[in-house]
Amino acid sequence: MSVTAAGAVDTARSADRRWLVLAAIWLVLIAAPLWMPLIGGYTSLGTRILVLGLAATALNFLIGFTGVVSFGHAAYFGLGVYGAGLVLRYLAPSTPLAIVAGILLGGVIGTIVGALIARQRGIYFAMVTIAFEQIFYYIGYKWDAVTGGFDGLRGFQRQPIHLGAFVLDIQKNDLAFYYFVLFIFALVVGLMGFLLRSPFGRTLLAIRENERRARFLGISVNRHIWLAFSISSFLIAAAGALYALLNDFADPSSLYFDLSGDLVIMAVLGGIRNFWGPLLGAAVFEVLQDYISSQTVNWLFFIGLVFVIVVMFFPRGLLGFFHRRRQT
Amino acid sequence: MSMLEVHNASKHFGSLVAVREVSLTVAKGELRAIIGPNGAGKTTFFNLITGFFPPTAGEIIFDGQNVTEVSAAERVKRGMARTFQITEVFPELSVRENIRIAAEVAAGYALRPWLRAEETRNIAAVVEEMIGLTGLAGKVERLVGELAHGDQRAVEIAMALALRPRLLLLDEPTAGMGEQETYEIAGLIRKLHRDKSYTIILVEHDMRVVFHLADRISVLDQGALLADGTPEQIASDPAVQAAYLGKAA
Amino acid sequence: MLQLVLFNLFNGLIIGAFYVLLALGLSMILNLSNVINFAHGNFLALGGYFAYVLIPYIGFWPALIVSPLLTAVLGLIIERTMIRRIYGRDPIYSLLLTFGLAFMIQDACRYIWGVNGLPLTTPASISQPLSQEFFFLTGYRLFVVGIVIIAVAGLFAFLRYSRMGMRIRAGVLDLDTVSALGINVRLLRSLNFAGGIFLAGLAGVLAGGQIGLNPNMGDSLLLPSFIAIIIGGMGSLVGTLLGGLLIGVAAAITTMFYASASDTIIYVIMALVLLVRPRGLLGEEGML
Repeated sequence: MSVTAAGAVDTARSADRRWLVLAAIWLVLIAAPLWMPLIGGYTSLGTRILVLGLAATALNFLIGFTGVVSFGHAAYFGLGVYGAGLVLRYLAPSTPLAIVAGILLGGVIGTIVGALIARQRGIYFAMVTIAFEQIFYYIGYKWDAVTGGFDGLRGFQRQPIHLGAFVLDIQKNDLAFYYFVLFIFALVVGLMGFLLRSPFGRTLLAIRENERRARFLGISVNRHIWLAFSISSFLIAAAGALYALLNDFADPSSLYFDLSGDLVIMAVLGGIRNFWGPLLGAAVFEVLQDYISSQTVNWLFFIGLVFVIVVMFFPRGLLGFFHRRRQT
Repeated sequence: MSMLEVHNASKHFGSLVAVREVSLTVAKGELRAIIGPNGAGKTTFFNLITGFFPPTAGEIIFDGQNVTEVSAAERVKRGMARTFQITEVFPELSVRENIRIAAEVAAGYALRPWLRAEETRNIAAVVEEMIGLTGLAGKVERLVGELAHGDQRAVEIAMALALRPRLLLLDEPTAGMGEQETYEIAGLIRKLHRDKSYTIILVEHDMRVVFHLADRISVLDQGALLADGTPEQIASDPAVQAAYLGKAA
Repeated sequence: MLQLVLFNLFNGLIIGAFYVLLALGLSMILNLSNVINFAHGNFLALGGYFAYVLIPYIGFWPALIVSPLLTAVLGLIIERTMIRRIYGRDPIYSLLLTFGLAFMIQDACRYIWGVNGLPLTTPASISQPLSQEFFFLTGYRLFVVGIVIIAVAGLFAFLRYSRMGMRIRAGVLDLDTVSALGINVRLLRSLNFAGGIFLAGLAGVLAGGQIGLNPNMGDSLLLPSFIAIIIGGMGSLVGTLLGGLLIGVAAAITTMFYASASDTIIYVIMALVLLVRPRGLLGEEGML
């Protein structure tokens, strides 16, 4: 699903290759619960990587494919977390309803904020996204009565899913939950890939490549950036809803801009010009963070160092070197 | 019938007057060249016509409609397409993708999440036509950023043509090109004008290209219109010779 | 009642003064180098800690100047070795770089000076309340306001009248032309960066004297400083100055009526400004 190759009807060989890569990726993901224990992992780590990878991928819709940097996207992730958590806590014990609520809360608010900021560009755009994120952080943090404030929202659990006669017990069975998350992941990622291969998706690539040219082709650049921001908010809110289910918990740190920074570094670490880069980046970053924090109390210093090293020495990310050249 | 009428257009940047009360009329099917020394305001004038920024004073009438207050993107939709002095393309996309984006936007598909099979075929046909017209057939899958300068310019022109414009504005299409590339681009412009009947406004430095191609020539000097006429009239105009041809060409 | 109003206004002015010092430095760096310095609040903390170390040896007054200078030198080193490498690249890289640096400096402070707050001793001569009735008018708070006024006036005078300052202003408007005129843009950016860090360091010493030192002391000031820049209009230092004072005072006034909204009010102002004037109060309105 490499979007770099979108549109062009390539030679049969390169199309074959794309399908092979795609099949391999999905095989690895489906088999993850089998091979992860062999290298010291465990299923819930896999689920966590999948959720954060989905968030970074959704953010990359904006960063990598529209060329617009949001450094405040944890806001819409976090709203997804709270949307799902609040429904389970106060409204109804229904997992699907929780997910829908999370997606709507993050997506709709992202759409409103996007309308306010779509005229900004470059570093200023990033700065305004950070500022808006802070609003939702404050709300999550201060509105004790509803959100549980600083201590977070507890007292809810993801609920088993009823499919007619069959019950998928994602509550007690980690493996079932992994596959449930993988299913949602597939839906969201599939939708994103579909959009990127559409005429609308190509206008976003056009804006990324050269905004002036895009405008003089007749693309309403501000409106398209707004739409991209909105779509990306809906997608990342889905990841947020899954995150609430994963932890059975929602807290303000999921709205904080430190998390935004983590999501951006995941995307860059994996490679923002590659559709699958952010997922790989999320896996590497999570494992690295796990490892560093188990080794030293000064883990924050070394996480900072990871940021610096990536920027200075691997700006194109792990998959950046495969980027596109194979087509020529 | 006129395609474009500019009435007393001026553009001030602070105290600098870049364009001073310029009026001109371009007929349908005409190829008009705009020449003038460096800093004469040619590109600024282009930017006024295409809506890059609004004029300080004056009016721009495109195909009978006043577009003075109309945005750049909307002018494109109404049939104005331009290329830039410094080639503006999508460097990390292929030649085909570059032209395809232009064709899809022109067809009104910019917000479409999918196309019907028939629509896809129509777009592909437009792309093929433009590739054939601009001589890019062997390079469709190459990334535009990897192409030679002349080919990038051809891609830019192909994108402009894919918009199905009624008025094509080319800002120094041969700038920075070698002998062979200049010849090829000039040939392409000639073909568009003679065979395809495009209305074209051309800003150009290379006098051979200008006098070879243009139906009429407008001369700008220090932001003002100095002369306007056929190539023969311009070549023999003493004011033009004094202000321009003698010094700069 | 009058006392209460004055109390809150003065509080707003003090907090606004800190926003202004931090935001002006951020804004200088943003305007000339197109970099958002996430580590700015951590340089503030460093300035405070340097003063903490120096005061026993050289006393408060010399430390008030020397600590920001040391902070600026450290900033200069970081700019020369790391930040300058990402100039002109996609903004994502400068964001990530300074984001990482912020983590590193914060954790280094914690490692060296500990998690717990440390007091910064200020001279008795400026620590007394000046009046029984207006108890909040301590000498130290007036002193803070005075120093900020001097620093801001100094900065604006420097930018307006010195050759370097004029070059910096020209560079903000049109870097290519400045470069074409043979001016060393790299040097200009380095010194400008160091200047911005100096202001952060100064704010650190002043804040330390008021609320004490801790490794996260800059965090709560950083985001409001962003807001000050956005409200004031990006590219305009005068706008940043006004923005900083405005949100400081607005938050303080809100405290009087509805305390729990005082953090939120500045974001409401920001949203309104962006709605009405997308480029900020004094920002250039330009077509793209």
